[in-house]
Amino acid sequence: MKETKYIVDTTLRDGEQSPGIALQIEDKVKIAALLDELGVYEIEAGTPVLSASEEEGISRIIENKQNAKISVWSRMNIMDVQKSIRCKPDIIHIGTPVSYIQIYSKLKKNKVWVIKSILECVDIAKSNGIEVTVGLEDSSRSDIGFLLSIIKELRIAGVDTIRVADTVGVLTPKRTKELVETIKANTDIRIEMHVHNDLGMAVANSIVGARAGAELIDCTLFGIGERTGNCNLYDFVHACDSVFQFAMSYKQIRHVEQQVYTELKGAM
Amino acid sequence: MGFDGERSGGSIIRLIDNTLTSFDYNLPSKEDLYAFSEYLFTIGVDAVELSVKAYERMAKLRDDRKYILDIEFADEILSYPGFYRYVCHQEVHDENRIFELQMNDSREIVKLRALRSCKEIRIVGLDDIMCHESYEKYFNEIINFLPRSTIILNPENTFGCASAIAMQWATDFGSNITTSFTGCKNNAATEEVLMALRLAVRYKPNRDLTMLPEMTNLYEKITGKIVSNKKPIIGKNIFMVEAGIHADGINKNPATYEAYDPCLVGGKTVLVVGKHSGTRAVRLKLEELGLPELENEIVEKLLNHIKDICTENRKSLCDEEFINLVREVTDNEGDQIHR
Repeated sequence: MKETKYIVDTTLRDGEQSPGIALQIEDKVKIAALLDELGVYEIEAGTPVLSASEEEGISRIIENKQNAKISVWSRMNIMDVQKSIRCKPDIIHIGTPVSYIQIYSKLKKNKVWVIKSILECVDIAKSNGIEVTVGLEDSSRSDIGFLLSIIKELRIAGVDTIRVADTVGVLTPKRTKELVETIKANTDIRIEMHVHNDLGMAVANSIVGARAGAELIDCTLFGIGERTGNCNLYDFVHACDSVFQFAMSYKQIRHVEQQVYTELKGAM
Repeated sequence: MGFDGERSGGSIIRLIDNTLTSFDYNLPSKEDLYAFSEYLFTIGVDAVELSVKAYERMAKLRDDRKYILDIEFADEILSYPGFYRYVCHQEVHDENRIFELQMNDSREIVKLRALRSCKEIRIVGLDDIMCHESYEKYFNEIINFLPRSTIILNPENTFGCASAIAMQWATDFGSNITTSFTGCKNNAATEEVLMALRLAVRYKPNRDLTMLPEMTNLYEKITGKIVSNKKPIIGKNIFMVEAGIHADGINKNPATYEAYDPCLVGGKTVLVVGKHSGTRAVRLKLEELGLPELENEIVEKLLNHIKDICTENRKSLCDEEFINLVREVTDNEGDQIHR
């Protein structure tokens, strides 16, 4: 019996962040409907704070959804989370920088501030009855001790799932395995893998991450995304459908790709 | 003796590039073949593998470089003396001969038992080794079946994992790998493996990779193929950044959102303004283009216009479009002020 793995599709969020494309509301609604029909577990539909039009697109996706969970991406910022709540998604995903370079150099803050801020954001979303996943941004370059301590705080706050984000795409299979296994060994959190393809290893790292215990895998159609892109959904399922159980076949994914090529080709 | 050293984890990594065995159907000029092979050595390849046709076109090779000739049968060696190594497709046990064996999937690894007497063997294929159980188990099996051989792994890319397999084999298991530029032989991509090794184990950190854009142009000229804009390391668009959070982060410290400095590979960060930009990105673009600073309120208006126009046209703005939009918005503001 093959172990079931769940696909989180982020074509409409991380995929669309790829310079070169800007989807219209109708495009997003169409792509979401096809992904839902395909059997994707969760569709990351966009970032509400971007614009009124983005918010409207997300709301339309939520109205039309059948089986997939619809999530939205939010910065670790109360205003952003409140804007996300207005869309009434199934899940709010809150991006939380965890590497020292992100915390000290980009945010110019410290670890205590990060933990305090994310716990406030989680509390606001959860008190509105919305599930939260926390994206541990730049996990691959973070201090594992800090990573584990923030996960423990999140568990206490009622967060069930964290996203291990290889934000700059520097993971290798060995590092991926070590990272996921360490989190599994020290916490009982559900793990979602989110990798980028900067070294051409996104598919391999996703497979190794899934093998090591990640239950959810983030992918995009055609592998579009920031810089070199994210894990390619077709390639991932094609590579490991003999090992894992997915809700869809890679042939079905190809069929969806054929229907959305025009909308997404600008990102390739 | 193996290919320049031991073959267990921790020993010197050696990389053979076999791109020059793939040009036979559209053989480039002698000059282009030379130029391409020189680029390969410059970026850190240890030995360049040639087809007989490519060698005959090049006619003379530099003595201070390591070249490997790809032949079908061992007796052809007599016609082409003097190479560093020969890759043969028949079983050979002599010095300087690499026996190449195709293994379509990991279930065939057991067949290696019969090849214990091979001095040097190249395994081509094993595309699926990352897909099943632990890849480490398979790598160890290979080493255990061939305890005295130098094993060169040339993983193929049916499942998009070849670069990862090559990199992991090189760092922790067998040291010797074969790759090709862009992965054009359906194997690991030389440039991806070199960069991954550089970041992971500081492999050849002083090598100059800045000529990769010219190398890519030459590759496109020779093959007539266009390298994908998003191809890791060498894609033309991989250092473009649009999302507000990333543009801001890169501006504060490029390392926040970039795996390595784009200058290392002859590239540079390009700020693109589009649907996902924020006010910070707009300000940075104004500065980059030498346009005057704008009031917060005008920047907000400009950003809203940018988002609307980009969504309507389903694409980001080029610099010219951005400049026109700035003029449009500031002229409008001016009209309103004077009214």
